[in-house]
Amino acid sequence: MGISQGELKSYLVSAIACLATAFLAALIRPWFDTVNIVMLFLLAVFLVSWRLGQGPAVLAAFLSVGLFDFFFVPPRLTFAVADIQYLLTFVVMLAVALITGQLTALLRKQAEAAQQEEARTRALYETAKSLAGAVKLPQVAETVAAFLHNEIDADCMLLLPDDTGQLQAQGSGRVWIEPHLAQAVYDRGQSGEEADGVRYLPLIGATRVRGVLAISPVASGNDMLNQPMLEAVATLSAIAVERLHYVEVAQQAQLQTASERLRSSVLSALSHDLRTPLTILVGIADSLARSHLEARQKEDAEAVRDQAMRLAGLVENLLDMARLHAGDIQLRREWQPLEEVIGSSLKLLGRALGRHPVRIELPADLPLLEFDAVLMERVFCNLLENASKYSPEDSPIDITANRKAGLVEISVRDYGPGIAPERQDRIFEMFVRGVSESNQHGVGLGLAICRAIVDAHCGTIIAENCTPGARFTFTLPVGEPPVIEGDDLLESRQ
Amino acid sequence: MSTVAPRVLLIEDERQIRKFVREALQQEGYQVFEAETAAQGLVEAGSRKPDLVILDLGLPDRDGVEAIGDLRNWSAVPVLILSARSAEPDKVAALDAGADDYLAKPFGVSELLARVRALLRRKSRLSGDGQTLVAFGEVQVDLIRRLVTRNGEPVHLTPIEYRLLRALLAGEGRVLTHRQLLRDVWGPSYVESSHYLRVFVGHLRQKLEADPTRPSYFLTETGVGYRFQS
Repeated sequence: MGISQGELKSYLVSAIACLATAFLAALIRPWFDTVNIVMLFLLAVFLVSWRLGQGPAVLAAFLSVGLFDFFFVPPRLTFAVADIQYLLTFVVMLAVALITGQLTALLRKQAEAAQQEEARTRALYETAKSLAGAVKLPQVAETVAAFLHNEIDADCMLLLPDDTGQLQAQGSGRVWIEPHLAQAVYDRGQSGEEADGVRYLPLIGATRVRGVLAISPVASGNDMLNQPMLEAVATLSAIAVERLHYVEVAQQAQLQTASERLRSSVLSALSHDLRTPLTILVGIADSLARSHLEARQKEDAEAVRDQAMRLAGLVENLLDMARLHAGDIQLRREWQPLEEVIGSSLKLLGRALGRHPVRIELPADLPLLEFDAVLMERVFCNLLENASKYSPEDSPIDITANRKAGLVEISVRDYGPGIAPERQDRIFEMFVRGVSESNQHGVGLGLAICRAIVDAHCGTIIAENCTPGARFTFTLPVGEPPVIEGDDLLESRQ
Repeated sequence: MSTVAPRVLLIEDERQIRKFVREALQQEGYQVFEAETAAQGLVEAGSRKPDLVILDLGLPDRDGVEAIGDLRNWSAVPVLILSARSAEPDKVAALDAGADDYLAKPFGVSELLARVRALLRRKSRLSGDGQTLVAFGEVQVDLIRRLVTRNGEPVHLTPIEYRLLRALLAGEGRVLTHRQLLRDVWGPSYVESSHYLRVFVGHLRQKLEADPTRPSYFLTETGVGYRFQS
């Protein structure tokens, strides 16, 4: 066992202390008993053991006994002992010296350990503080690594799950990890066996396991058994990681709200900016068409007005689609008879229906349905407009409804050529039309809007061919219609 | 109708829209005043004493609904609002605040003139003696004797149906919101129960319309309310 410079100095100081004691004792010898001189030496040993530790204390014990024997026990200046009773003095002196030395050294060691523990606790506290202030995951990894490196001289690596639940290393750790072991610890949420000198600790958060902390000592044989401290570190890391996770969630939610608000304001600004010139265009063209112009010019003005109106309808469709896609439309579902919304759709379409007779067949016991009337009107308008566009003039259009288990099936059927088979599947997608080479107007937004609206009402919509014609059928859930109190009841109440 | 040309106040911030609306109204013989902002419009409404106000809901200086509320504090002049099609809640708010009718942009001139005429007719009718007999289609309603006949045959209406019919007739030329009708017919505690209204309007149509699914008198203003038109 090598002796360091510091230790050598301690032994030297111990020896000098003993010699100084002997000198002092020699000075006061004329006035004191030899037995009391022993006390002086005992004090010296005690002081040495208190200040310098166990080794120097042992040296001081033996040296004191030797010096006492040599200088103070007759015959003096020899190690010979004349009076045999001094042997007992030597034994007691040595025993007391050794025991006090041992005790003080132990105390000192405990005090030192307590101090070290306190320093570590303070470091842990500092770590907790800087983890609480961490704003990025690498910062967490760095802080934990610095603490473990300083306190127990160990390297560590923070492993956090990605979107698929696979652990990924955070920051630059120098720990050679076994991925499947780490993954097992993560999945089970329990710390695993130490493998190849690496210990895996799960980061257990409030709601779930947040990751794994892998720790390995730099020098082998390091004291890795300070389990409570390691667990404390793991808990601190878990809290920090969890906090950052929630910060991220909150930030994303905030960002989403902001972008939704932006989208919604862009949409309304766009709708205003597009509608204003169209209103002017329609108004002026209509004014011209009503003025005293030649028939041909009047016809042109009417065409301008009609096209501008059609453009306005298209713009509304596009904006509706954008709003539906942006999730910007709030359903205002109310219980109401289906009949009413069919009637208002037919009225709204007016001339656009041309000369198609519309036949409506609704069962008498059709219950009230819960839907957003404005949106359902869009569905009927789009389906009816399609039916009138893609079927020969004067051919009828049928609107029927049937009650099935838990839902109502509503169909709009025309007597035209039907839907091209290769398009049937995609007809509800945006910008797809049922007839490929068609001179009809429209970009195929209508059915996509229908589907978005029906979906929002928890229904389904399908397209099929009949002979002849096409039939579009959508469903609405029946739910539990409210009871309508009769007149008599209401009368008595008022 | 009075011999003096009816006075119309047009509050709209778009110059071109103002222009064609003004010309269309002038051609019909109306006297037209214009305002660009709500503030200016309220001042004009006070000084010009118009017979009708046409108000754009999207004015730059203040919320149109608020402006209607202000106007209603001291004037009962009919108000026709111009608004976007896909803004039902705005329309309802404006109508509940006291507006009488609305027109969705873009609109044709004949549509505009029809609404203006209906509101002016309503105003002159209100200022005259109360009507006691209303006739539309095959139906005649005697408001004094509470008698409803169709093709001369009496039609039985329940008390609620009759109250609803009276409320709709009284609002001829206006749009009545669900809320207004529910409050008038059922009472304030029913203003959220719009299904009552819809079911009873359905009953009225069954009893009084030639084709109940395609009504020509009791019209649906989807997402807003109802309109009676004779």
